[in-house]
Amino acid sequence: MKATLNTGRTIHQGMAVEHKSSPDYTAAVSICYMNPVDLMDLGIEGGARVSVTSRAGRIVLTTRAAEEVNQGEVFVPLGPYANHLISADTHATGMPDFKGEPVDVTSTHELVKDIDSVMEELGGVRYDH
Amino acid sequence: MTELLVKNACVFDPLNGISMEMMDISIRDGRVVESVSATADVIDAHGCLTLPGGIDSHSHVCGTKVNFGRYMSPEDMRAGRTARRGKMHITSGYYVPTTYGNSYRYSTMGYTTVLEGAMAPLEARHTHEEFTATPHQDMMANTLFDGNWAIMEAVQKRDTRRAAAIVAWMLSAVKGYSIKLTNPGGTEAWGWGEDLTSIHELVPNFNVTPAEIITTMIAANELLHLPHSVHLHCNNLGKPGNYETTLETFDLVPDRNNGRQTLYATHVQFHAYGGTTWRNINSKAEEITRSVNAKPQIVMDMGQIMFGRTMTMTADGPMEFNLYCLHHNKWSNHDVELETASGIIPVLYSKKSLVNCVMWAIGLELALLTKNPYQCLLATDNPNGAPFVKYPEIIGLLMSKRYRDEEFATLHEGTGQRTVISSIDREMDWNEVAIMTRAGQAKALGIIPQGKGHLGVGAEADIAIYPIRCRDVDPSTEYRKVIEGFQKTMYTIKRGRIIARDGEVIVEGANSTFWVNPSVPEEISVASDPEFVKKFEEYYTVRMGNYPVQDVYLPRGKCIRTEAVL
Amino acid sequence: MIIKDVVCPFCGCLCDDLDVEVDGQKIVKVQNGCTLAESTFTGSNRLPAPIRRTASGWEAISYDDAIRDAVDILLSADRPLLYGWSSTHGETQSFGVHIAELIGGVIDNTSTVCHGPSILAIQEVGHPGCTLGQVKNRADVIVYWGCNPTEAHPRHMSRYTTFATGFFVPEAQRGRTVIVVDTRRTESAEIADEFIRIKRGGDYEVLSALRAIVRGKCEVLPREVAGVSREQLVRIAEICKKAKFGAIFFGLGLTMSAGKYKNVRNAIELTDELNRHTKFTISPLRGHANVYGSNEVFTWITGYPYAVDFARGIAFYNPGETTAVDILRRGECDAALIVASDPGAHFPHSAAAHLAKIPTILIDPHQTATTPLCRLQIPCTMAGIDAEGTAYRMDGVPIRYKKIIESSYPDDADLLRQIHDRIMEAKRA
Repeated sequence: MKATLNTGRTIHQGMAVEHKSSPDYTAAVSICYMNPVDLMDLGIEGGARVSVTSRAGRIVLTTRAAEEVNQGEVFVPLGPYANHLISADTHATGMPDFKGEPVDVTSTHELVKDIDSVMEELGGVRYDH
Repeated sequence: MTELLVKNACVFDPLNGISMEMMDISIRDGRVVESVSATADVIDAHGCLTLPGGIDSHSHVCGTKVNFGRYMSPEDMRAGRTARRGKMHITSGYYVPTTYGNSYRYSTMGYTTVLEGAMAPLEARHTHEEFTATPHQDMMANTLFDGNWAIMEAVQKRDTRRAAAIVAWMLSAVKGYSIKLTNPGGTEAWGWGEDLTSIHELVPNFNVTPAEIITTMIAANELLHLPHSVHLHCNNLGKPGNYETTLETFDLVPDRNNGRQTLYATHVQFHAYGGTTWRNINSKAEEITRSVNAKPQIVMDMGQIMFGRTMTMTADGPMEFNLYCLHHNKWSNHDVELETASGIIPVLYSKKSLVNCVMWAIGLELALLTKNPYQCLLATDNPNGAPFVKYPEIIGLLMSKRYRDEEFATLHEGTGQRTVISSIDREMDWNEVAIMTRAGQAKALGIIPQGKGHLGVGAEADIAIYPIRCRDVDPSTEYRKVIEGFQKTMYTIKRGRIIARDGEVIVEGANSTFWVNPSVPEEISVASDPEFVKKFEEYYTVRMGNYPVQDVYLPRGKCIRTEAVL
Repeated sequence: MIIKDVVCPFCGCLCDDLDVEVDGQKIVKVQNGCTLAESTFTGSNRLPAPIRRTASGWEAISYDDAIRDAVDILLSADRPLLYGWSSTHGETQSFGVHIAELIGGVIDNTSTVCHGPSILAIQEVGHPGCTLGQVKNRADVIVYWGCNPTEAHPRHMSRYTTFATGFFVPEAQRGRTVIVVDTRRTESAEIADEFIRIKRGGDYEVLSALRAIVRGKCEVLPREVAGVSREQLVRIAEICKKAKFGAIFFGLGLTMSAGKYKNVRNAIELTDELNRHTKFTISPLRGHANVYGSNEVFTWITGYPYAVDFARGIAFYNPGETTAVDILRRGECDAALIVASDPGAHFPHSAAAHLAKIPTILIDPHQTATTPLCRLQIPCTMAGIDAEGTAYRMDGVPIRYKKIIESSYPDDADLLRQIHDRIMEAKRA
């Protein structure tokens, strides 16, 4: 399914933003909010997982039904998962296209990566203490 | 113990009656002393013009609206940029330099003390942070009260003691130096997008007039024995015909202080317009100076404009909006809750504009027609009239009729009919220039007791040595030498340390901030008045306990305590 | 012990009326704050000691070693990037700028991915604004455009707008009309008297339409603009023109959508237009508590509010070229110092990935998404909790953070001062 990606702050993302190694944070930011009708079109229910692809990358997220999200759009809270889908091209403004990126959404059984794995994909090394 | 001997200085020290005297100046531990030992460091002034450090009594260099002016103007930042050199940080900005930019440029011109023209009490912390980053000038802040709700309430109740108590609390809380009124009452009206057009018009919702605010604040100022007088930016700035408002305002001022003026009227050029519209605007400098010449209780500064681009920034929000409507340039506005307003807009003063030419003439007329140079000081309301780096050119114009005539010849041809500048022969001399750029300011600001503005024994050793041999230069004809000489000192000395030499700042700075702590009897102190506290907490968006500026912001603060006589 | 009037260091509201209960050096309870404040003050999981990444994994090291490593990295770099700054206090930000100047690096702050476009717009057309108390005391019309204060600035409406009692608005919400403009019906929209639902990317058009109506050119409008009916637009314009005092607040809906700074410019120009009819102000809802502080500090020292490049020996500003995301995207920096922010989480992943390729130093109290990418992390105090200093609220009002507990962590200002002084010494030698 083709959709437009919107990213932004949520209260749960904000509450966990200074505790990024916590499961609360991963839970808050690896969510893909979708309109119930779109979920139905994909043949899944809120809570199922989707693979979202953009020109910048691909990431697996957990869906959640949200009436306020328009059909044809998906909302992902700002964070490393959303940023897997955002290109670093800023059109010479310094600001990437955090809102309005075209994406492709398909249902998947792949698991959502933990945040350390996401960062390791970028070349990082997880810190466990 | 550090000692410095300045030899062969050609000194003008008006406050001590010294005029073109060759002498040596002895300095120990930052102060002028009778003599120093044979081991003192020595610098030779080679008979050059030596003055006390320059004092700017009205300049917008630090604080919220100044910084606004910077970050909204990257084109200006590019225009004035300099690279890191020796001890000097990078600087940016031409009309609104960065704080280090201001500090180095003032030092290069021999200025060692600056009064920040306007500080909103709620944002005082910002001003103080920038003061610390203007490290080579001692700083102090005019504190805005023109739209202050608690003050207007006290004025409405005709309670001068209450007004004094509020001023006392605020000045000590925000570590301000003096009372500033900008378009009194008008800045509150601007909270609704309105303005006042007369000093007898009522401020909407507060039922007081600018005249009442001004007279009450003057009385409160004197009750508190503040070192400076009320510092006033009159109502109706910039409007054709506004000279009447200015004269009416001057007529309000009693003579309440033996040591200094009772009112400091700032940038009076902008308030000296005759006519009724931009088409027939003309100079009323003669009327204004006639009033001031008869009133020793008033001191003004010129507010000279110089041609070229610059940035206007004042607490006079409505005036700045009118400029926006006129020029359609980028316009910023910043109203401060319960206190005041502000606006910022870039302008271009052009010789092609008859209005601008009249303005240029008026500033000079004010200075040349004021008999006593202590009553008309040199300033441009930096940067509103022109950036302060233009002061040397203004000195050149004041000292040379020939220079004035040459400039006049390049102006709009209609200027002569609207102004009297071309008929004025007076040429200021070195002594008068010294008064208009340091002695007069020290007296007006009340900082002579702090050792500023003079070079007598006990004074702070703030000294500017200019590469001008007064005996050999005729300022009337050699005005170029005068201008160049005042642009770059041979030495700028601050508290006995050489901080600048031939345009280069050579040490890190360690300036002081002067502030006033007026004390009033406990029974009228507002901090313990439950009504005052209740209203503060209800209407401000900052808690009263978090409002005062903590000591840490003034690493070398100099507190001047005064005692109220009620 | 209850400490009163504590300043919250989380979002741009900079609420300073929190009562925090502490038991020794432990924070027990927060009152008056929102849930974001609660999490900020009572959260734990601070990194206990500096850590360094080696070939075999992470090792704890001493502060001395960490500072030495950091200095070496910065001195060896040709084009260092110093990024972040928004969650710490002014003194630290000052040192950051001075270090960047010393080493000829690029310094940028989180405005770059937040309200940078707003700054670009202000640099084109100015900013007609005011302090929040002006809104609280006078505004009878509030507009929230492209932002969701209920989620991102939870107490904005109760302290400063909709629900706040003001001197001239004693009835609070009943004396106000609240307009919310967004692409989706957020919780903020639920509180609004008028909700304008815009088609994604349509903000610029709708702003232009409103400007046309305010100028009396309603007839040029089609029946619908970006999904909004002409009727609703006329109604909104009328409400604004009839306001005694209108205040527009806007957020990332304008800065991040197509058009970016042009959207904000249009909103500012609408405000300018409305000022010819009545009193209107516009202000950005700044995200981090002290991001405006980094703009102020950068500006009074360098002349520019963000994206400042010292490589030429002067201060050079060119957003799009000297902005952090672009520098990282081009792989241009060969070392990075990240302070008080988390680009690992908040930058597009290809930009964040570059941080892993170069020696990156992270100065931050917590384990963040940037931790795995860095080579060295130095934990420090949290401004507003165990360190005091200046912060600038979203409207420019400066408030001093309190230090409410003691900790053994060094103040990041102190860390940076040491780094600065050692670099100075090395350059003199």
